[in-house]
Amino acid sequence: MPRELALLDALVPALILAFAGGLALSWLLDQVFTISGLYRHIWYRALFRLGLFICLVCSLGLMIY
Amino acid sequence: MKEMHKQILRVSITLLIVGLAVLLGHMLWVRYMDSPWTRDGRVRADVVNVASDIPGLVTEVAVRDNQYVKKGDLLFRIDTERYHHTLTETGARLEQRKITLALKRGQSTRRAMLDDQVISREDREDADLITLAAKADLDQAVAEHEHARLDLKRTEVRAPVDGWISNLLVRPGDYAQAGEAKLALIDQKSYWIYGYFEEHKLALIHVNDPAEIRMLGTDFVLRGHVESIARGITDRDNPTDVRLLANVNPSFNWVRLAQRVPVRIHIDEIPEGVVLVAGMTCSVIIHPASSSKS
Repeated sequence: MPRELALLDALVPALILAFAGGLALSWLLDQVFTISGLYRHIWYRALFRLGLFICLVCSLGLMIY
Repeated sequence: MKEMHKQILRVSITLLIVGLAVLLGHMLWVRYMDSPWTRDGRVRADVVNVASDIPGLVTEVAVRDNQYVKKGDLLFRIDTERYHHTLTETGARLEQRKITLALKRGQSTRRAMLDDQVISREDREDADLITLAAKADLDQAVAEHEHARLDLKRTEVRAPVDGWISNLLVRPGDYAQAGEAKLALIDQKSYWIYGYFEEHKLALIHVNDPAEIRMLGTDFVLRGHVESIARGITDRDNPTDVRLLANVNPSFNWVRLAQRVPVRIHIDEIPEGVVLVAGMTCSVIIHPASSSKS
């Protein structure tokens, strides 16, 4: 896994991939949770979403590095 | 009561996720910021500035730009005519001094055979000393002749190491001053990596730690080890002005940038297909010896 990613000829850290992946995954999970009604068991929905997103991004990032 | 249990469950699920996020975030932060790796690495090589030992016109350039040369190969040639003349001149002087010495030596032996009634003791002693002086003159002429021969030999400028010519700018007809660098020769065996590490990471790096080098934008991985760590860098905040007073840069107290310290990496293994060019950018990852053992 290269640690650099060419983005319009500018080489950026591959962490940006983790960010994009985390965004997509958390949106997907959000849909699933909404449909399955899991959000009824959640205290603050926004806080849960933020925590989930950070968990996903960090896990993906730890996989790369 | 059931409602309260439900409430506790809701709060704890949310707090669990938040706690996990904080933990993972911290792990990634430590991995990314505090482990000894840098994206600021450079390929370096020793460059020999080839200069002519003697002044003169360049008559021939025997190499092309970026050509590979072996140690001792001809690089360029200086006009030899003047040095041929000097050699002839010093050779003639040498011959002359030889004859003078023979002459003086003959005089001295002849005079040594005469007794005090024919020649004064002073004349005899003078003749001996004049012979010695003539011998010294001859030695000097020999040295000058050898010097002229060396100059003639040095009109051919040869490669001091194996390597590549770079940025060849010398042309036939240029005038070469003695000692003025005329072309750059990159030493083939001298390639190394300089990793510029933030100062707070230096504690994690030790000499002989294995290192992994990734060339920018490629999948090639070079192996190496830490050869040495620089023991000084310039203090950029304190240049002196013309009157030698300190010129301290005002800086923010809040944001401070870590200085970068060069760490020299010796290259142990280069995968096939990698062409190292001095000045290339690479990422350097150090694997501290203590953690690789455990």
